[in-house]
Amino acid sequence: MMHCYLYLSIILFCLGIVGVVARRNVFTVFMSIELMLNAANLAFVTFARVHESMDGHVLAMMVMAVAAAEAALALAVVILLHKHKGKLDTNVFSLLKG
Amino acid sequence: MFADGLFIMFAALAVLGAVGLVLFRHPMNGAMSFVVTLISLAGLYALLSAKLIFALQLIVYAGAIMSLIVFIIMFLNIQPDDLPKEETKLLYVLGGGILVVPIGLFLAKIVKSLPEHSTAIMGGNFGGVKEVGLLLFRDWLIPFEIVSLLLLVSLVGAVILAGKRGITK
Amino acid sequence: MEQSVNYLGLIPLFPLMGAVLIGLLHVFTCKRTALPEKVYGILACIGPVLSFVLALKVFVALKALAPEARFLTHKAFTWFSVGDLHINMGFLADPLSCLMLLFVTFIGSLIHIYSIGYMGGDKNYGKFFAYMNLFLGSMLVLVLGDGPVVMFVGWEGVGLCSYLLISFYSEDRSNVLAGNKAFIVNRVGDLGFVLGMSFLFWGIGANGFDYLSLKANVQHLEPAIALTVCLLLFVGATGKSAQIPLYVWLPDAMAGPTPVSALIHAATMVTAGVYMVARFSFLYAGVELAGTIVAWVGILTALLAAIFGMFQDDIKKVLAYSTVSQLGYMFAGVGVAAYSAGIFHVFTHAFFKALLFLGAGAVIYALHHEQNIWKMGGLKNKMPKTYITMVIGALALAGCPPFSGFFSKDEILYSALATGHFGIWAVGVLVAGMTAYYTFRMIFVVFHGEPRDQHAYEHASEAPNVMTVPLIILAVGALFAGFLNLPGIFGGDQIVSHWLAPSLSEQHPHGNLFVEILAIGASVVAFAIGIKIAYGKFGQGAPEPSFSGFADFAYHKFYVDELYDRIIVQPYKAIGSSIWKVIEPNVTDAPIKGVSRLYMVLGTAFKVFQVGYVRIYALYMVLGLSIMSLLLSQSLN
Repeated sequence: MMHCYLYLSIILFCLGIVGVVARRNVFTVFMSIELMLNAANLAFVTFARVHESMDGHVLAMMVMAVAAAEAALALAVVILLHKHKGKLDTNVFSLLKG
Repeated sequence: MFADGLFIMFAALAVLGAVGLVLFRHPMNGAMSFVVTLISLAGLYALLSAKLIFALQLIVYAGAIMSLIVFIIMFLNIQPDDLPKEETKLLYVLGGGILVVPIGLFLAKIVKSLPEHSTAIMGGNFGGVKEVGLLLFRDWLIPFEIVSLLLLVSLVGAVILAGKRGITK
Repeated sequence: MEQSVNYLGLIPLFPLMGAVLIGLLHVFTCKRTALPEKVYGILACIGPVLSFVLALKVFVALKALAPEARFLTHKAFTWFSVGDLHINMGFLADPLSCLMLLFVTFIGSLIHIYSIGYMGGDKNYGKFFAYMNLFLGSMLVLVLGDGPVVMFVGWEGVGLCSYLLISFYSEDRSNVLAGNKAFIVNRVGDLGFVLGMSFLFWGIGANGFDYLSLKANVQHLEPAIALTVCLLLFVGATGKSAQIPLYVWLPDAMAGPTPVSALIHAATMVTAGVYMVARFSFLYAGVELAGTIVAWVGILTALLAAIFGMFQDDIKKVLAYSTVSQLGYMFAGVGVAAYSAGIFHVFTHAFFKALLFLGAGAVIYALHHEQNIWKMGGLKNKMPKTYITMVIGALALAGCPPFSGFFSKDEILYSALATGHFGIWAVGVLVAGMTAYYTFRMIFVVFHGEPRDQHAYEHASEAPNVMTVPLIILAVGALFAGFLNLPGIFGGDQIVSHWLAPSLSEQHPHGNLFVEILAIGASVVAFAIGIKIAYGKFGQGAPEPSFSGFADFAYHKFYVDELYDRIIVQPYKAIGSSIWKVIEPNVTDAPIKGVSRLYMVLGTAFKVFQVGYVRIYALYMVLGLSIMSLLLSQSLN
């Protein structure tokens, strides 16, 4: 069964990548990143079960904490973006355009 | 058998939710379908005998973080006009999908090379609050403290960033 | 044989420290309240006077030694080492450098004291004294250096200071140009000096590169190399000591303040070339051809400068050309292997030329910086002290017995005659007459006759004591310095020549009495004729002459400056501008511009990828990841 869990983890991770690359909506991009984190969490927990050690659980908790921190900051940035540009488009950041 | 059925159900729901997240135009719809993914993941954690993580996934992720996101989405009162016009969205999704395939295949190949292992439900206290807590506060104390610091910093940062006033459009 | 004394290094150190101290004081105070002038004046005089005291001490120490062992050395530190070659910052005092030391520090001190008065009220008072001290310190390094390399340090130092001081009144562009000219012309000479030094090192430098080692090894030098070295070093000397063809900077150097002119002409700088040739006398003595060339260049310079001197109307330019002319004598002296005569002339010349310049400075000071002799006249009543001292200086310069210039000049002419250089002797006698003429032309025009500019005359007055006292001291020197080297015919025993003998490689010619009397007689007659013509023309006052024909040609200095400008400066400028306009844009810049254009094209091409959207960059990352994955999964099989 372990393989199935890990395949699922891979699928979710790849979907997360596609979401980041393909979408312009900041919320969707942000949630896609969360999706990738969750995919990683799934792999952690799976391996924890396989090895019957709970370190994977601890790491998953850490990832959740990081995700929470990220959510707080990212949402603050989104609010700022909306306040300044009135848009939710990642394409408004184009200062690096050559 | 029952566990396998549950796994298939949760896996299908998780993938469906993720696909929905990627494809829905309005972020609110995306968030709702992401919640489905998160809850099915929680089910999967339960199947993996991770009792504490199962609970945390529901409480912290599906509960706290997602409600924060939904709250912000509603707070901003997003109208359809505010959303970016993504005429070429499908094209990008397709292109991204094609690009991602080799990565997925590569990872799958690695997974395949690992020995198969049963994930039958474990009895006893594996993954319980007490056991994980002991581990967390003994072996992982310093990373735990660092993470708590990180949370504090991001809290302050969020307050400063979002609290800025006086800058007009 | 050698004795090491540690106070030798202090001699140049005192003025150099003074220069640093005064310079710092000036820099830190000139923007705010300037320090009182007295502070600078006293500080500036301490260094030279202390050096003079130490020079006396060196003299006493040398005197106590046996004549053949008169060497004092001091090695301050090892300057640099290359392989087995160790160049020391070393100092050497022998009779030659001791004589130079004595009069350089003595006259330098007097000029410093005089400058306190002359420069009064100048806003760059401190800067002036810092430069003066640096100048004197450099000259002392030059004189005391124990090898050509250390000498070169001082050599460049005096070049630098002359540049700084000539262009001291830098508000006026022509002064700055004069400074530039001195510096650039000196560079030409310095190149010769460096090349000569290199050849010398290549030849016999392996066993130590100081004078004593070189002297010991000089017989191993091949004649051809020896000749090359001599001529190249002489090129350096022509630059520093203003000989043909590099004399052009010295008259322009009059742009500086008068004490600077005095210092350049009398004590420092221009005597360096003569000193250098005398210092390398062991080298020149072995190469007769080089000596002959030196002598002829010298005497021709003397002639040319005397011709120019007869037609100048700027009091300082007259003196400048007289210096060039006297330097020519000195080179004639060292050229005919009469090194002690040449150095003795340097010595006496230092006194009377410093005297004349400082006297001229007093006149200029009294007339509020008027330098044209045709605007002076009748000043002897107003400035008696200056008049008397200047007449003494003029008599010495013109070679009137028994003033100092007579003995030294006569010694040179006698040596030329006794060694069989009749041509040089004849030209020398002619120049002696011309010298008497132009010197007294200046004296008569400035001090005798009727005042030409009544207004200036009425405001003229005698200079303050701080200026006249040095004049009087120098006048005493100009009167009696000659007796130090009284030739045998007058009952003397040539003290200076005997003193210098251990340092120099010369054979004294044993001429007979007839030759000696002939030489002296010719000199005296030439002097008398010169002064008589001058008196006849200018003694009772004369109007400003207008020149025509040859005189006009000479007044314009034979158009040598214009000639140099035409054949050297302008072609260089043409080459420079052609390089600038043709070669630089088309040849050297082309590859560079091509490279920059290539990068611009590449940049425009790659700009396409810099779309500025974050997700596109993420896309690139994913692309790279997927390519890596493809490759890695290949290798995984």
